[in-house]
Amino acid sequence: MSAETRPSTTSSITQQAVHRSPYARVPAAFRLHLVNRQIIWIPLIVFGGAWALSLGIGLWAQRLDGGPGPGDPVYTGSGQAALWCLAFMAAYSGSHTFPFALALSFSRRVYLLGTLLVFVLIAICYGIVFGAAAAVEQATDGLGLHTYSHALPFLVADGIWVAGLAAAVVALMLMLIGFGASMLYRRFGVLVFWLVLLVLTVLIVVAVLLTVQTVGWDGLWGWFDRQTALSAAGWSGLVAVVMAGVDYGLIRRATA
Amino acid sequence: MDAVIEVDGLTRRYRSTTALDAVSVRFERDVIHGLLGRNGAGKTTLMSTVTAQEWPTSGEVRVFGQHPHENEQVLPRICFVREEQQYLDDARASHAFAAAAMAFPRWDQEFAERLAVEFKVPEKTRIKKMSRGQRSAVGVIIGLASRAEVTFFDEPYMGLDAVARQLFYDRLLADYAEHPRTIVLSSHLIDEIAHLIEHVVLLDEGRVVLDEPVEELRDRAVTLVGRADAVGELTAGRTVLQHEGMGRTSRTTVLGGLDAGERRRAAELDLDLLPVSLQQLVVHLTSQRERHEQQERSTS
Repeated sequence: MSAETRPSTTSSITQQAVHRSPYARVPAAFRLHLVNRQIIWIPLIVFGGAWALSLGIGLWAQRLDGGPGPGDPVYTGSGQAALWCLAFMAAYSGSHTFPFALALSFSRRVYLLGTLLVFVLIAICYGIVFGAAAAVEQATDGLGLHTYSHALPFLVADGIWVAGLAAAVVALMLMLIGFGASMLYRRFGVLVFWLVLLVLTVLIVVAVLLTVQTVGWDGLWGWFDRQTALSAAGWSGLVAVVMAGVDYGLIRRATA
Repeated sequence: MDAVIEVDGLTRRYRSTTALDAVSVRFERDVIHGLLGRNGAGKTTLMSTVTAQEWPTSGEVRVFGQHPHENEQVLPRICFVREEQQYLDDARASHAFAAAAMAFPRWDQEFAERLAVEFKVPEKTRIKKMSRGQRSAVGVIIGLASRAEVTFFDEPYMGLDAVARQLFYDRLLADYAEHPRTIVLSSHLIDEIAHLIEHVVLLDEGRVVLDEPVEELRDRAVTLVGRADAVGELTAGRTVLQHEGMGRTSRTTVLGGLDAGERRRAAELDLDLLPVSLQQLVVHLTSQRERHEQQERSTS
């Protein structure tokens, strides 16, 4: 069928566009991340796996000491494993969904808003799961093993809900950092990615040295010592807000 | 005719490379365009810029009269199927179609499912595990079923066998007939798509070499075959695109058509006049440009 022998056409689908909200496709961008649900299941597996591993180590340590007793409880840092996993999954999600999002003609702003909604949802879920795990540990004396991975004194001092809130906000911050790292790499390439990391490290070191020069090591550690789970959540929230802006700045001109 | 895409003085540079050099071109509403050119001519950069995946170094792009970059009034009406599209990791074709259904307001799920059967896209295989042709079929299906008012296909046939390519051309034409829209088809298989396209835009080294309706291209060049002296008589003073001498016979392709008088003279001289295929014309025009540039370099 050549161009000139084509059948007569029906009316064009290229009509005057209906004005739509610039955010109408945010739910679609949100669901794009959940087409396969790896970003949910993999951190959950890591969460459960790390907890089980820390309990196993606690049990083993207590057997060496002659069984559970009234001694000091064992505190582990395994609760943070899922946090790093979430940061990685956010970077992975950015690198794998962004090119397809562009192919589906999402604007970068809509894609980022959908992504932020996913991260917020996951952070809330993580906070709830973390808080629930801390509550279980408190109620059962570390699952009867005297071993705590979530109900750490620093986190639960102001209540379980504060621990959950801090976990949620830190998770959100780390996801935004992970996502930002993947966008930085996508936009500028591997050399600039590592240069930025190097410059940031140098800036942090210089800031620490200047602080120590002004207030001394005791002043610096004292400041950290005075922080609570709630203030940690506040600082993390601040970084998260800054990172959301940085992420948009990076993604605005990122290419597939 | 009105233009849905207007590109004015578009230049795109990547460090020392100029991918597009002051390109000005319009793509008309409800027309199938062929975007042709050699590798590195700037076709993908042009399509990427129009679809707001890239941005101009200078110049302007308007789609439906608006700037497309970050414009949700324009972007849902555009679909760009890339040659090597990256899909969601571990996703199956049904996942990609589900995502496309959410993104494109005019998506036709029933059409997508029918095409998936016709193209034999495996249901349970992850896209990254599919053959190249099957992956291309997924892209082609998204492009067709999106029914986007402006649809770009960038070398959509990679890995598709001849049967699947013909199926693509047939379904494209049939669906276009029912749902007219602006389609831009970039391809190296020029003669294969020649019957589909109504308008040709030829890029070479980032510049527009040709921007014409296909019908007008027929008179753009002609090949004369016959006695060398007779051919020489009719081609004297014309721009020769290609010349092959075979003893006393020659075959010469010249730019421009022959008028009635020249045709009569050709008949008297017993010359054969052969139409130049679109692919031949594209090859001639791009190689002629290269020859000109080489000559200019050698004389300067």
